[in-house]
Amino acid sequence: MNDGTILLVEDSPDDVLFTLRAFERNQFSNEVVVAVDGEQALEYLLPADGREPLRPALILLDVNLPKIDGLEVLRRIRANSRTAGLPVVVLTTSREERDIVDSYRLGANSFVRKPVVFGEFVDATQALGMYWLLVNEPVPPWRGEG
Amino acid sequence: MTVSAHGAVQPEQLMALLDHTSAVIYMRGLDGRYLLVNHEYERLFDVRREDIVGLTDHDLFPAEVADSFRANDLMAIAEGRPVRMEETAPGDTGLRTYITVKFPLMDAEQRPYAICGISTDITERKNAEEEVRRLNEELEERVVQRTAELEATTRELDAFAYSVSHDLRAPLRSLAGFSEILLEDYAEVIDEVGRGYLARIEANAARMARMIDDLLDLSRATRAELRRERVDLSALAREVVEELREAEPGRQATVEIADGLTANGDSHLVRLVLLNLIGNAWKFTAREAAAVIRIDALPRQHPPVFAVRDNGAGFDMRYAAKLFDPFQRSHSSSDFEGTGIGLAIVHRIVQRHGGRVWAQSEPGQGATFFFTLAVDRGRRTAREPA
Repeated sequence: MNDGTILLVEDSPDDVLFTLRAFERNQFSNEVVVAVDGEQALEYLLPADGREPLRPALILLDVNLPKIDGLEVLRRIRANSRTAGLPVVVLTTSREERDIVDSYRLGANSFVRKPVVFGEFVDATQALGMYWLLVNEPVPPWRGEG
Repeated sequence: MTVSAHGAVQPEQLMALLDHTSAVIYMRGLDGRYLLVNHEYERLFDVRREDIVGLTDHDLFPAEVADSFRANDLMAIAEGRPVRMEETAPGDTGLRTYITVKFPLMDAEQRPYAICGISTDITERKNAEEEVRRLNEELEERVVQRTAELEATTRELDAFAYSVSHDLRAPLRSLAGFSEILLEDYAEVIDEVGRGYLARIEANAARMARMIDDLLDLSRATRAELRRERVDLSALAREVVEELREAEPGRQATVEIADGLTANGDSHLVRLVLLNLIGNAWKFTAREAAAVIRIDALPRQHPPVFAVRDNGAGFDMRYAAKLFDPFQRSHSSSDFEGTGIGLAIVHRIVQRHGGRVWAQSEPGQGATFFFTLAVDRGRRTAREPA
């Protein structure tokens, strides 16, 4: 499996646990970095203090987040040339049309609704990982830095 | 008296004419002194004509009223022709409004020597107009207010539905997720009965998630803006059936969909109607050896009456009226899985299109659901119960 890092932006500890378990179940060995709110996610991706920025192979982004919400995080990722090319999958509880429309409008690569039943959650995670970490060709790093 | 009559017409006859009109009529000299008033004038201001001759308006009315009458007199005299104006004068029940025509009388050299006035009371009309204007204003204000209230309610409802879709589902995922984890990781320390309970927790969490989705559909069917377009119901029905077959590949069912079923409606919402009605037909024919579902339209109906028919479990017509209320279920959940919201969604959507939905069934004899998507301006269909 690809050794790219996955950035999981998720404030619910239960959902973090389920997502990690689903990765494990699908034998994804990728390192997973968890950000528990939008602010932390942006600190990883666009650090203000000169630290090495995180360049994940995939960002899994929840919509409802404390401090800075998911859609605002997405907007800032797309607005910055250094992060604009990163694949972002909005992974959320809601099926509200508004969230789906706004996510795509702001440049999400995909919108996935977290299934309630764990088995379906594992299947969805597998499909996601297979596609974004194996099938998909990301923006080459030397082009993504703008 | 300057009034003269020609031929057979006598001054008394002319005076009688003046006295029997509802208008107030008067004649004043250039100096403003009264020369003549009619009966209506006497009645209105409670004076006798013999007493008033020689007086001016300043002897009869408050100064500002008299001043304005005098100004109008002088204006008409200066114009040298009839002039129309609005005047107000005090009456028994407050100020009254008149439409007045004033014109000067001219002598042989075309010099004015007197001024005549004919005043018609328009107070009632004026009040009525004012009332209409006030009512209109009030109505407009109320419409603005109600619209704002409605918008606020819709916004609240939106926010509520949004919060429900996010916050109510998340805990369910935890319930179902941890039940599953217990089943997987602790299978050896939980016995058969315990595992059964965990499975039930999971099944119920999943069921509640479906109910939340259905409630959101119901709320969306109410809130969403109706976007009418030409809708191909035959194509939508085929899509829905395809989905049902994919979700349950083992099911044997004959589905017949009539071609050319079209209507003017919101395709997203009409799809929800078909999804629920065909979904029900699919569900309630699960135990039929030879399940048959038919989607067609009644012949020669305007607007078209669409029908979804099945040969499944059916229902007792005694409960038909309650069928379209939310959370009403005609079968126990152990018989047929369901949230009891589907038909409420159908009802809401059909209603928003101005149409109707009704059903025909007998237990064990299958069921047919009829619906229209437009206002029926003419006859009613024979099948609809009164």
